[in-house]
Amino acid sequence: MVLLLAGCDGPLSTLAPAGPAAGDIALLWWGMLIGSAAITLLVGVLLALSFGPPRVRPARYWTHGWGLGFSLVVLTTVLVAGLWVGERILPRDDGAVEVRAHAYQWGWRFAQPDAEGGMVETDDTLYIPAGRPVDVIVTAEDVIHAFWVPQLAGKVDAIPGRRNLLRIEADRPGTHEGLCAEFCGLGHAAMRFELVAYDADAPPDALADAPPAEEFADD
Amino acid sequence: MSFLARSIAGPMIWAVTFSVVYALHGAGCALGWDGVVAGPVSLQRAALVGSWALGLIAGAALLQRLPASGGMRAGLPRAGAWTGLVATLFTLFPVLVTSSCDAARAPAIHLFTPA
Amino acid sequence: MTDATIGAAAGTGAAAGEIAANAPQRALGLHRELDRAWANAPGWRGQITAVSHTTLGLRFMATALVFFAIGGILAMLIRAQLATPEGAFLDTEIYNQIFTMHGSIMMFLFAIPMLEGLAIYMLPKILGTRDLAFPRLTALGYWCYLFGGLILIFALLGGVAPHDGWFMYTPLSGANYSPGVNADVWLLGVTFVEISALAAAVEITVTILRQRAPGMKLTEMPLFAWYMLGTSVMMLVGFPPLILASVLLEIERAFGWPFFEVARGGDPLLWQHLFWLFGHPEVYIIFLPAAGALSTIIPVMCRTTILGYGAIVAAIVALVFLSFGLWVHHMFTVGIPHMALAFFSAASVLVAVPTAVQVFAWIGTMWKGRPEMHLPMYHVMGFFLTFVMGGLTGVMLAIVPFNWQAHDTHFVVAHLHYVLIGGFVFPMMAAAAYWMPQITGRARIKGLGETAFWTILIGFHGTFFLMHLTGLMGMPRRIDVYPDNPEWIWLNLTSSLFGFVMTIGFALFALDLVLQAWLGPRSPRDPWRAPGLDWAMRLPPPSYNFASLPGPGRLDGGAQAAQGLARGEGLLPGAPRGRREVLVTGVGSARPEFVAILPGNTALPLGLAGAIGVFVLMMLSGLYWLTLPALALVAALIWVWARGMARGRDAAPVEVAPGLTLPVHTHRQDTLGRTGAVCLLLADGTLFAALLFGVGFLSVVALGWPPPELTGDPELGAGLIAGLVAGLGLGVVAVRLGLRAQGRGGAVLPAAAGLLANLVALACLGWLAAAVLDDPTRHARDALRGVLTGYVGLHALIAAGMAAFALDQARRGEIVGARAGCLPAWRLWQDFAAVTALIAGAILLAQGAGG
Repeated sequence: MVLLLAGCDGPLSTLAPAGPAAGDIALLWWGMLIGSAAITLLVGVLLALSFGPPRVRPARYWTHGWGLGFSLVVLTTVLVAGLWVGERILPRDDGAVEVRAHAYQWGWRFAQPDAEGGMVETDDTLYIPAGRPVDVIVTAEDVIHAFWVPQLAGKVDAIPGRRNLLRIEADRPGTHEGLCAEFCGLGHAAMRFELVAYDADAPPDALADAPPAEEFADD
Repeated sequence: MSFLARSIAGPMIWAVTFSVVYALHGAGCALGWDGVVAGPVSLQRAALVGSWALGLIAGAALLQRLPASGGMRAGLPRAGAWTGLVATLFTLFPVLVTSSCDAARAPAIHLFTPA
Repeated sequence: MTDATIGAAAGTGAAAGEIAANAPQRALGLHRELDRAWANAPGWRGQITAVSHTTLGLRFMATALVFFAIGGILAMLIRAQLATPEGAFLDTEIYNQIFTMHGSIMMFLFAIPMLEGLAIYMLPKILGTRDLAFPRLTALGYWCYLFGGLILIFALLGGVAPHDGWFMYTPLSGANYSPGVNADVWLLGVTFVEISALAAAVEITVTILRQRAPGMKLTEMPLFAWYMLGTSVMMLVGFPPLILASVLLEIERAFGWPFFEVARGGDPLLWQHLFWLFGHPEVYIIFLPAAGALSTIIPVMCRTTILGYGAIVAAIVALVFLSFGLWVHHMFTVGIPHMALAFFSAASVLVAVPTAVQVFAWIGTMWKGRPEMHLPMYHVMGFFLTFVMGGLTGVMLAIVPFNWQAHDTHFVVAHLHYVLIGGFVFPMMAAAAYWMPQITGRARIKGLGETAFWTILIGFHGTFFLMHLTGLMGMPRRIDVYPDNPEWIWLNLTSSLFGFVMTIGFALFALDLVLQAWLGPRSPRDPWRAPGLDWAMRLPPPSYNFASLPGPGRLDGGAQAAQGLARGEGLLPGAPRGRREVLVTGVGSARPEFVAILPGNTALPLGLAGAIGVFVLMMLSGLYWLTLPALALVAALIWVWARGMARGRDAAPVEVAPGLTLPVHTHRQDTLGRTGAVCLLLADGTLFAALLFGVGFLSVVALGWPPPELTGDPELGAGLIAGLVAGLGLGVVAVRLGLRAQGRGGAVLPAAAGLLANLVALACLGWLAAAVLDDPTRHARDALRGVLTGYVGLHALIAAGMAAFALDQARRGEIVGARAGCLPAWRLWQDFAAVTALIAGAILLAQGAGG
């Protein structure tokens, strides 16, 4: 099991979460995986048993018992768990740090607060304080892209004309990788970025050196 | 033909209710209904829950009117009515429990408020 | 058939649906007589003029297999590129073209045509009739499919294939970011191919509803027919949103009318909504026919009957509806509020229930019977294993937070291949193994099929099982290199290696089919001892399927019923009048109502498809003015087509069985053509509804609104809209007057009045477009007004054409007595045109008032 989990590690792995949202989702995944494995096994056993002598069960045993009853119970459980997790990880009006991610063909422009709280601009690296919820306002310059830091949270699309919001949070200071998940043309594969989660008490020098953020295209 | 029409009546009720609730949700968010108070809840939620309830009532009423027995000619319309009712219940119950519009701006009145 | 043979059989009352048997004749004589009427012309001309469902069904399937092979080769190129992190094998542009074409080919040129081909070939045989309702339409569909597919393939060979992904998201696929012809190839080529999907959907629906063997009630018809009925209705409702979206995007690209461009009031999400409004039902459109094959094959392989027939039919109905409530689960990351996502998440989860009902009904069937492991059963087992896993990952993806992580990663790639190969390809291979003896009359060569199965199964799971993990470890879709991610290397290399194993398996499968068709020993008539009517005929099937049509009491004998039918004991034996005749039965009752005379071999479908092809090529070349003569040619050929249906002479009633004489279709108003027109209008109405959705969506959701002020004269506009609606309304009155005057042959005047009324409506419309409407390139609102006007104009133009056709028919004396000519069809169309014009006019007026 440890070996298996180690095999799932990686700078872009959703199975190596480093934030609450990604952690919740990874738990959801392991739960669904176990359930799915059990159901696959169950169907396999039922199929194997069919190769014996004919066994008569009333049609309703299959269509209503297994088909409706069993599946509805399982599916309702999964759905409720999903909605619960979904509500937990939504951005909320709770004074989270706001940063901006602006996607273009093919790169990222970020704006984030520096030590004094003024917004500074960086290219292809986003700085956020660790241990604090951060809302990323995601916008696009040209075509649709998507902002994704798998170890921290799910993805959200960057769509021309829209401002999408994504809540991320890093448990500890460290560096995480991010990428554009929505196909955006020739430079899609290389449209990566870095996310640096820093100790909130010790903002990195890069932030102090960064120029103040200019207005974004759609402001 | 009327057999086929009766068989799809239930799913049609779901289809109409689903479309109406989804359209109302989009329109309500665009028009700011989630900020308008209507009694204990927002106008948005009142409108959504109301139309959901109407759909459920229509589905239940259909089920009431269909004959209970008579082979597949009665069975398929009944199964259709059940499909419509269960689908309306199952697919739209989120009107009760989830954040309606942009959560960052909406008041937290849903059941799943994080601790 | 002579009069002497008719009276010989004992006549019984028709009250309880009993129909007397015809007297037996010499089977060989009947065969020769029928073959003269039904066979294709000899030689290469026969291939061009064939309209037979047997020929065209096989040709659809064979062509689909060729495209499957091309799509498979593209898949191998993708796997070769991804086998190493810095594959230098393909450059990015070519790679983008290849994955776009792989998806587009597999969806539009393989899966859909394959299921159409299976239905086209099988349905008339399963339902006990001689051909589909509209044979020329079958042929038109085939040529449109072939030509559209060839456009895409030639674009690939020319290096200008679409390169924006198979779902063609705007603005990437818009004129700014995809200049050049690539995206146009997709939009025009795929839409061209979709003509065949709509054509097939119309005739499959009509054939199932109206051409079932007498006595085959809806509630008792073979499950395959229920599945295909569900599929075809879904196609009628599912394809129009895609066609609308493609037309709008092509108009945006070609003429600059904004629908998806943010700066001018459009919204890229409108494309996504319309595309997935088609795209998700599409998955079930592909799955349902496969499930139909499974419901046919499993009971036969287990020597029993299907368990839970009623529950399965209910599940089909539920799937048909629920699958239209899932589309947003492809859009969970676009920023839609959580509640709306939750609706679609719940619906996506719920759709697993009817699927589970079917899966457990099949397992119950196996428990009830004694499963025998013949080759089809191997593929059925492959289906169970693969599809159950694909369904479960589908449920995972329906869960919103998980979807936010997995969306656009290789997890989704793995999932969709599990569903499509598990839910479509394995069942289709089972169907091929099952029906190949029926199609070729030959038994297979032992051993090869099993080897192919195991190779495919191992290759498939080796390729795609680990790919779930690749996705969870963060590998996004549609990247060609991953130099910084060594942790993905072993996963991708494994997938690539097994991908080649799977390819070898498919090659073996194809070889098996070829060898069976070419060298296989003669098959017994009932290799599976199956009960269906598809086995109640000579193998391979004759051009006419049944020498006499099965009726009550002959519907589930399988091959045992073949002899009596071949001797002419069933209904409507032979072709004594030298015409292609089929029986038309009531939708609910399955009582024989009249005899339909089907058209014979003709090259007209090829010509019409060619004319449409010229239009498409002119659009592609940007020679927009030259599309007009192409359209004129299309219109002229449609006129000729319709003339082919008109019959000048009075056709005498036909005795189909002792004591049962039925009129010919020209004397009925409820013809197959009318049912077909209703189906077409269902699709057309869906297109209109999708357009209204677009108007509503952009008005409420899009940014860049409110639009600039309207500049046209509002009073003139209101007057012209009133004139337009009044003109179409007068047409509605005129066609009814025509029907009233039909008996005494007095339809000339009403038809002329109807033509005039429609022309007045068209004039108002032209004036409106020229003098009142604003420049459609200014803003999405103005572009939508232009499209609404164009939609109404096209319908008014066709209404005028139908009125002119009716006038012509009335003058020729073809509308008289019980013969209504084209009046019933015209009435339907005129009503539809008037109602849609009323709605469109109301919207134009409302926008005018608000502006």
